[in-house]
Amino acid sequence: MRTYWSPYLAGLGLGLVVLASYLLMGFGPGASGAFAHVAARVEGVVAPAHALANGYIAGYLESGRLWAQWIVIEVLGIVLGGLLGALTAGRFRWRLESGPATRSARRLLFAFLGGATVGFASRVAQGCTSGVALSGGAVLAPGAWAFFAGFMVAGFAVAWLVRRIWL
Amino acid sequence: MSWPIGLEGARALLAGLGLGVAFGFILERAGLGDPKKLVGLFYLRDFTMMKVMFTAIAVTATGIGLLSLLGVVDIADLSVQPTFLWPQLAGGALLGAGFALGGY
Repeated sequence: MRTYWSPYLAGLGLGLVVLASYLLMGFGPGASGAFAHVAARVEGVVAPAHALANGYIAGYLESGRLWAQWIVIEVLGIVLGGLLGALTAGRFRWRLESGPATRSARRLLFAFLGGATVGFASRVAQGCTSGVALSGGAVLAPGAWAFFAGFMVAGFAVAWLVRRIWL
Repeated sequence: MSWPIGLEGARALLAGLGLGVAFGFILERAGLGDPKKLVGLFYLRDFTMMKVMFTAIAVTATGIGLLSLLGVVDIADLSVQPTFLWPQLAGGALLGAGFALGGY
């Protein structure tokens, strides 16, 4: 199994990727938007009248086919890139990461709650750690730093409450 | 050629795929596929996420700044997130809470 890169080397590489995105596309990479695109289309199938009556959801549905959305393809690339990285480093294994005393069911329940919270939060903030904090921070968007302040304060507080999952 | 190019259509999707693959590959190599390394920040045990993220922000910001000074990039054409202070503060807090719960 290969060792991890120096975080500064990885940061240099990641910074060049974000820079390339700004140069080629005019905007930085994101992640949560792809989940919003998928969620909107699921609602469009399950409850089409309700979805179209909601201006926000309808906006996603009217943006065209799912596979023609830049952010959807980009996030697909992130999954492939992560898989490629894990395979070539000999790190690919089926496992559930958690603290030593945490039962799998509890870890999965909290993962679900955390995922739902992150999904909702990313719509409130118009993005997530990738699109707002990283891409926004790189062009010194004030909202990115507000996002980051909130992220740190709540992250430390909630992490303390759920420390038995991770430690 | 003026920058940003602003790719469209199939070329934009191809660029998105390539950028995504590089993004995911680098995060994996940094160890950020491991949620324990990510939440380790909140227990002051692992600062990988901070080091990677702020190095990246510094590199991108420096690159855009230099290319703008050299007249290569017109920063007026770059998309910058509009500021909604309270939603972004509250959304960031909620996202931080979810991140600590779920590990990503």
